Amino acid sequence: MAKAIEIKRFSYKYPDGTIALSDINLSIEEKQKVVLIGPNGAGKSTLMLAMAGFAKGEGEIIVNGLKVEKKNLKKIRTVIGCCFENPDDQLFMPTLFDDVAFGPLNMGFNTEQVKIRVAQALRTVGMEAMAEKAPHHLSAGQKRAAAIATVLSMSPDIIALDEPDGSLDPRNREKLVALLKNLPQTLIIATCNMNFAAAIGDRAVLVDKGRIIADGEAKEIMFDTKLMAEYGLEMPAMVNDTSEL
Amino acid sequence: MHMANELLSLPVAGGTLAIAGGVLGLICRKAKQVITSEKLALMGILGAFVFAAQMVNFRLPAMPGTSGHMVGAVLLAIILGPHAAAIVMSSVIIVQCLIFQDGGLLALGCNIINMAIVPTYVGYYLYRIVTAKQFSNLRTYIGVMLACLIGIEMGAVLVPIETSLSGVLMVPFSTFLATMIGVHFLVGLVESLITVTVLAYIQQVRPDIVADNLQGKIRLSKRAVLTTFVVFTIIIGAGLSLLASGMPDGLEWSYAERPDQPNFKPVVSNNDSRIAVVDKLQSKYSLMPDYSVRSDGEDKKIQALAGWRSFAGIFGSITTMVIIWLTAWILRRNNPKTVAV
Amino acid sequence: MHHAHIDKFAYQDSPVHRLDARVKFIAAVIFTAVVISLPRTSFAILFCYAIGPFVILVLGRIPLKFVFKHILLVSPFVLILALSCPLYDKTPVKIAFGPSVFQTTVGWERCCTICGKFVVTMLALIALVSTTRFSNLLAGLGKLGVPKLLIIQLGFLYRYIFVLIDTAQHILRARTGRTFRNLGVKQEMKIASAMLGSLFIRSIDTAERINIAMHGRGFNGNWRTISRLKISNNDYIFGVLFSVFVISLYFFAVPVLN
Repeated sequence: MAKAIEIKRFSYKYPDGTIALSDINLSIEEKQKVVLIGPNGAGKSTLMLAMAGFAKGEGEIIVNGLKVEKKNLKKIRTVIGCCFENPDDQLFMPTLFDDVAFGPLNMGFNTEQVKIRVAQALRTVGMEAMAEKAPHHLSAGQKRAAAIATVLSMSPDIIALDEPDGSLDPRNREKLVALLKNLPQTLIIATCNMNFAAAIGDRAVLVDKGRIIADGEAKEIMFDTKLMAEYGLEMPAMVNDTSEL
Repeated sequence: MHMANELLSLPVAGGTLAIAGGVLGLICRKAKQVITSEKLALMGILGAFVFAAQMVNFRLPAMPGTSGHMVGAVLLAIILGPHAAAIVMSSVIIVQCLIFQDGGLLALGCNIINMAIVPTYVGYYLYRIVTAKQFSNLRTYIGVMLACLIGIEMGAVLVPIETSLSGVLMVPFSTFLATMIGVHFLVGLVESLITVTVLAYIQQVRPDIVADNLQGKIRLSKRAVLTTFVVFTIIIGAGLSLLASGMPDGLEWSYAERPDQPNFKPVVSNNDSRIAVVDKLQSKYSLMPDYSVRSDGEDKKIQALAGWRSFAGIFGSITTMVIIWLTAWILRRNNPKTVAV
Repeated sequence: MHHAHIDKFAYQDSPVHRLDARVKFIAAVIFTAVVISLPRTSFAILFCYAIGPFVILVLGRIPLKFVFKHILLVSPFVLILALSCPLYDKTPVKIAFGPSVFQTTVGWERCCTICGKFVVTMLALIALVSTTRFSNLLAGLGKLGVPKLLIIQLGFLYRYIFVLIDTAQHILRARTGRTFRNLGVKQEMKIASAMLGSLFIRSIDTAERINIAMHGRGFNGNWRTISRLKISNNDYIFGVLFSVFVISLYFFAVPVLN
């Protein structure tokens, strides 16, 4: 299978000198659903930022065959759609329509194409009726879905989501799981909720203190009692039945 | 100090709107070269910050029972530069008008000039002049103080000028001016203290944000505050602080101000020539002629007729509105539709 | 009244809500201009003019309780100012109203007119903003020539005031929760500026994350949006009705009342 993302010996320091990521080696295949797990402050978000070219460090990151560097950034950002932790940061336009249209417009599509893309993206997340709403009138679950729509409308090959389950109640989380499982794209999800991670991920990468600790089959890692306890993570309560079938 | 439509005449409202629009247009064109795409979001959020910051109130010094809040114009000017700050403050005032209905639609021009353009530019350049040669604790401190004080004061002074040009208000210009200056002196003083402390806090926590415009270290030392207070207390004088005590908001107080002397004579009365001139000017521009009955020894019959007419005008209108409302209510009751909220 | 709901009525649907934002905005400006240019002694005609925005509000299903509560909320400023009029102008004047004639002063007359104009122009402004989504209003203002930079700023502002006011309220609640006794002024100022400072820094962090989100979605400095504004037949009908209303009051009601 072709590689979606290839990270070789990548290290990154914050401007103040703190080491955020050190010697990361990771390769993700196309259509894989990868969960990045680890405690808060482990470096999961920074790793995602680095993939989209927002954190310049040492080493090499290749996204869909393109090296992450300044001249490729424009292309890379249409390939990888990043959705950050707080939907309030992702939804910055006065209406949902404007927000979902923002990416496609920047990609240079014309009005008609943009309208089609917006309608498609909103339908995928089940929010087609909300297009003209203002984000501050949406519920937490709706905001989350809307944030995902803003990257879906750009039809990226890879979707990276940072803590998409944050501040969601169980029912909305279930809806989100169903939505994410049905997305055809390569998925990279950072989360510290193991139930959520187990429900979606095929592969789990455990990150702590800027290093990759373990990498492998999602269930193998998340049911490794010793490993999970060592990094202060809870085990998933149960195996999601549907994912077994 | 949001100006309302009703305090302005049409020529003044139109004129200030045109000036504010023109200046803003110029600034926007000029700012295009200065404002990078990275700054767009920052400006927007800082505008929202000013909004939220105005909710954080605190007790005013020297005046028990009162509370003040931040204005934010000078803080933004120092951090963003005057052009960007003027745009942000203007957008704050437009949103205050269009979403919170604070300040009238036609008074927008006045409000933008008084509260956005004047304080940011005056404040910023004063600050730059004081800190031009070198940055030092003292210079920065004095610069911020002067910027806040004079920036706000200049905006406040415009309020009585605009209203007296309009001729709607009857408060004598000098009284109005004096009270506005007095009250906004206090507002400016608080603003400057807050601005200095907030700047110091930001410099301490995130020095990168203020690096360009704030060199050296600003610190609000006990001595500096004490000196400031002493200096300002002398300037303000006992009289002003006496007048100011117990009033909930600087601006409201300045309008409510009135000389409580028994032999008080209105400086500007209806017969005053200035008012008459303004009235003449106003009636030239106004669409409706005067209709109400004045007591100039008119015929009683005509008076009574006019009385019935205005009675009819008022009650006819009210009846119409009640009928419209009732019709809508009945229609809605018979045909209940879910209202999408 | 929760702040996030201040504009909820703009998201309802009604014939007035569907009117084009530009048409409504221009109408509101003209209406306000006409009302404030009424001479200060014309009180009864204000009632006639009030019918206009009143009809819009009723058609737009805006609860009148909300409208008047809001007018009351923003009124103290004008109210106090208007009340200063009687103190400065004591020229006696007789006002005839119905069967009776009142003896009063020009100052009071002015005071009433200022308050009356305030209520009527406020009705018009509320009728405009509570039947027009702010995003549409912005798009309309942009088409009417307001600089793009300002429109972008207004868009951000509208989006984030609600977020930041929430944050401010959390900070304030934390302060109330921890303040048990009356602190000195100095202490209070210190706490206030620390709160403002942390609010400021949170705002800056938010701005940085938005920046990343914008650039992550391919933003390169060229701000593009799709306008969904369309002038329909209803807008022409509204324009005609509005003109008829304003002009007929001028030619018909004024001479009758005079």
